[in-house]
Amino acid sequence: MAEQVRSNRQRELFIKKSTRVAASYLNRAMALSEMPDAAKPFFGTLENTFVNLRGIPLCAENSAEKRKTIGTLCVMVPAELVYAAGALPVRLCSGSYTAYAIGDDYIPRDACPLVKAVMGFGKIKALPVFDQCSLLVAPVTCDCKKKLSGVIGSVKNTVPLHIPPLKKEDADTEVFLRELYRLIPILEKETGRQITPQSLAEGIRTVGEAQYEMSEFLKYRKHAPALLHGTQVMAIMNAYAYMPADVWAGQMHKLNLEMKARLSQEHFISRPNQPRILVTGSPISFPNIKIPLLIEEMGGILAADETCMGERGLYDPVSVIDTSFDGMMRALASRYTKPCTCPVFVDNSQRVYRIKQMIKEHRIQGVVYHVLRGCLVYDYEYQIMEDELGKLDIPIIRVESDYNEEDVEQLRIRIEAFIELIKLKEYAKQKEAISEHTSMHKENVQE
Amino acid sequence: MHKKRVQEQGKDVKDVGKYYLGLDGGSTYLKAALLKDGKVVSTLVLPTGIDNSGTAKKIVAALCKKYEINRSDIGYIMATGYSRKILDVADDDISEITAHAYGVRVTAPKGYRPGMVVDIGGQDSKVIYLDANYNVKNFTMNDKCAAGTGKFMEVIAQILETTIDQVGPLSLESAAPCDINSTCVVFAQSEVISLVARKFDRRDILAGMHLSMAKRIIKMMKKSEKGGDILMTGGGALNTGIHRAFEEEMMRDVYVAKYPQFNGAVGAALIASERGGV
Repeated sequence: MAEQVRSNRQRELFIKKSTRVAASYLNRAMALSEMPDAAKPFFGTLENTFVNLRGIPLCAENSAEKRKTIGTLCVMVPAELVYAAGALPVRLCSGSYTAYAIGDDYIPRDACPLVKAVMGFGKIKALPVFDQCSLLVAPVTCDCKKKLSGVIGSVKNTVPLHIPPLKKEDADTEVFLRELYRLIPILEKETGRQITPQSLAEGIRTVGEAQYEMSEFLKYRKHAPALLHGTQVMAIMNAYAYMPADVWAGQMHKLNLEMKARLSQEHFISRPNQPRILVTGSPISFPNIKIPLLIEEMGGILAADETCMGERGLYDPVSVIDTSFDGMMRALASRYTKPCTCPVFVDNSQRVYRIKQMIKEHRIQGVVYHVLRGCLVYDYEYQIMEDELGKLDIPIIRVESDYNEEDVEQLRIRIEAFIELIKLKEYAKQKEAISEHTSMHKENVQE
Repeated sequence: MHKKRVQEQGKDVKDVGKYYLGLDGGSTYLKAALLKDGKVVSTLVLPTGIDNSGTAKKIVAALCKKYEINRSDIGYIMATGYSRKILDVADDDISEITAHAYGVRVTAPKGYRPGMVVDIGGQDSKVIYLDANYNVKNFTMNDKCAAGTGKFMEVIAQILETTIDQVGPLSLESAAPCDINSTCVVFAQSEVISLVARKFDRRDILAGMHLSMAKRIIKMMKKSEKGGDILMTGGGALNTGIHRAFEEEMMRDVYVAKYPQFNGAVGAALIASERGGV
């Protein structure tokens, strides 16, 4: 009895604290200048999820049928399959500082804060979108996620999904294809609905619409000077985790129209001399958006992100060539491994390629490499990134962080100095160009 | 927060006045450096105290008096250091990393080839990597911990009943430095107390402390970084003991900046004279 009272009290205090933190980060992100009106619904979703503590609306528009929600982690669980089974996928990778503190008691100290936060929500049962899920599909990716998929079974009905550590050969994709086939009856049993060729094609189309709007949006995001703040983009991308794909795509369409209007009116939110920064590395999940916020509050523009809660999940659509059921399944297996830039894969040269591509397309001047404490796989890839970007003369800085606010001032000074470094680099370049120009001019005069 | 002085268009900052002042509001001391024609003409240091902004005003007035100039002769005041945002007298502020990197252009001794700059401050230490033209390539800082900082030296000096300025010379007399393994200030403190109880010579303890600090900072440094020399700046570089420990641990020559304690202030003044704000 006393135990029950204590845990109720803990839950009550947890809710107070976690909603306060979420609200304050939402406000900070929205306070960045000139937020597009069409971005509001995405912030509304985050507010409903983390501040008002509401679950996902289970009924689709004009329908009375209640869908189930299936929890997923990482970027390797095909949302298409979940939609095909008549359910809604929800990404449960969490950035909650409060849930992290709860999970800390159940997960070893040196594990990453993200798995601690997921475990924390599993234990405290105070986040409706988490508790709504009747099943959690947990990919076996990095060591932390692997062990999490084992221990979280105690609080949530969980299916671990094997991810091949290699992805180069066709045999690796075959391994994942078998896993996806294994998942089908599990999802069908959970929802009571069969996955048919038609429903799978519809699932692929549903997610494809979101990907199409995303690809449209990326055109605007690449624009320099910027049309909106990257921190707000991170929030929009995070909201995808808690919105049905068609609803998200609909809102994204409106945002794209607003971006189009801003572009034609030359309504920019950045000055030409604001450094354009790309953030990559460990997941950035709401409300842990302190790094994007610091970049933009210190005068940078977050012009792109290569993170799994950001662009990575959506930039690449499933390409179906063979429209048979097996053909679609193969397209899924291929899409969720081969182009995936997650560092859990042994060979991940795609990530270097992708980042170089983004630097070029988004006109990036500096890269902030985010490492969550305990996140070894991303830390491993820092070195190669530093070497490769060194060749391009693009500065990169590694910032290590955790799920708490104690390190904000230390991070701030690093990020501020990094932004100054880029500005001074540009300044030196300009000075050089001017002196070259004048010396050329002098030569011409002498001639 | 103070207002950034807006430069008039087309008007070079250099036209405004002849002198440029850099203020470095550190955790322990407030340092000021006065620059003219890219050369340091005067420096001054005061304990930071609890009123950062008031101390800054005092230091500007004192410096003007010392060098017999008017406040209006100073073209631009640039602040750096952890209290840089709250110094009302300053026109603008810049991070300590950029300031230290800039300061080296003036304070590096003859023959120094830009490479690594190791700054040992009161509450943090940092390593800055420079390219051949003194531009910052990268930097690392210690995390939320006072190991390898001036504060660490101060705490140990107190236990050993000596003062911070004697710590270096005393340690140089040591023939057999003690082993100090704790990197945490609080743990190292108890380790030193136990060494004292075991009647170790304090000169050996101090030498051990310097080696332990040097090791701690070297951990932040990139061994693979080739080209260029190592330069020490910050108040910590005034300590001859830590300088020797660094050379021993790195197994190469380590340069010490001129006016090491004022390096940040000099850098801030220099950047002010070159281009005003960043």
